[in-house]
Amino acid sequence: MAHFAKIGMVGKVIQVLTLNDSDMLNADNIQDESVGQQYLERHNNWPAQMWVQTSYNTKGGKYYNADGTEHSDQSKAFRGNYAAVGFEWDADNDMFLPKKPYSSWVKDITNASWKSPIGNSPDLTAGQQSQNDADTHKWVYDWNEDDQTWDLVDKTNIDPLA
Amino acid sequence: MKKVVLSEQAFIAGYVKMPKGFEIDLDKLSIDISQSTNSELPFSRTWDMLNTYVIEHTNLEHQIRLVNKNCWGDIYKPNQQTSPLLNIDPVDLKNSPDYTLLYGIKTDNCFLRIYYDDNRRAGRSWDIQLTDNMFIIFPSTNMYYIKNEQKENSNVVLTITYDYL
Repeated sequence: MAHFAKIGMVGKVIQVLTLNDSDMLNADNIQDESVGQQYLERHNNWPAQMWVQTSYNTKGGKYYNADGTEHSDQSKAFRGNYAAVGFEWDADNDMFLPKKPYSSWVKDITNASWKSPIGNSPDLTAGQQSQNDADTHKWVYDWNEDDQTWDLVDKTNIDPLA
Repeated sequence: MKKVVLSEQAFIAGYVKMPKGFEIDLDKLSIDISQSTNSELPFSRTWDMLNTYVIEHTNLEHQIRLVNKNCWGDIYKPNQQTSPLLNIDPVDLKNSPDYTLLYGIKTDNCFLRIYYDDNRRAGRSWDIQLTDNMFIIFPSTNMYYIKNEQKENSNVVLTITYDYL
């Protein structure tokens, strides 16, 4: 079973369809993306070049086994992420990216995702982590788009109106 | 202070922007409507392209997942104004649609008025001109009428009703 993303006019994924392997075999009986694209154009009335194959097992630039563990052969990783509705198709980098979470974030091509302009959030201290483990606190870092900072927040007692 | 929206009357309007070479064939739809002998419009590739576009893009842009209910076409004579239209059955809401889509196929001064209530300010209305290849989606609980405001040409309008998931 193969999966193809339907790309909209502004480069966003608008649908993901499955395709039988037999429907994308070329004359040499080898799976060929362009054959699948032609099949989808004929049956779904959308241009062949706007169907892009996507890998169900690829996420964050890595290829995973069915049990969720990382595959030993990462050359199988294909186009960054398994496409979903709303994902961005980045043709220049040949990958699908999730929706940009904040306007200031920039592409992280290595991990097929987005990162803040100041990098990842700081690690929790050992004390904060032990409090999380003991369920007395829920320390997390939330991105503050206004201040462009990572803010440490305790989500133990979340205000329902927050 | 926080605002929680429990329900909304959303009117969604836009043009069907298809890739080059895959544009909606308005002539085909117009012919299908003029030749349909009953109220139901026959299935066609063109109709399917339009319907798929609407379903996929309302899901993508507004997270509204539509499911088809009914479909029909109407031809409005010059200067014709419909009586107020309502696509729900007030005594059978269970089998009534959630949303109504109007799509302009052949339009010339085709105007739409949709009625809505704004809390105690009942009976307000919103006017918009429907043009070729333009669609408007609104809740089927809203009454509306269509007016052909010129004396030369007929207007052809497609209606599709939907439920949402």
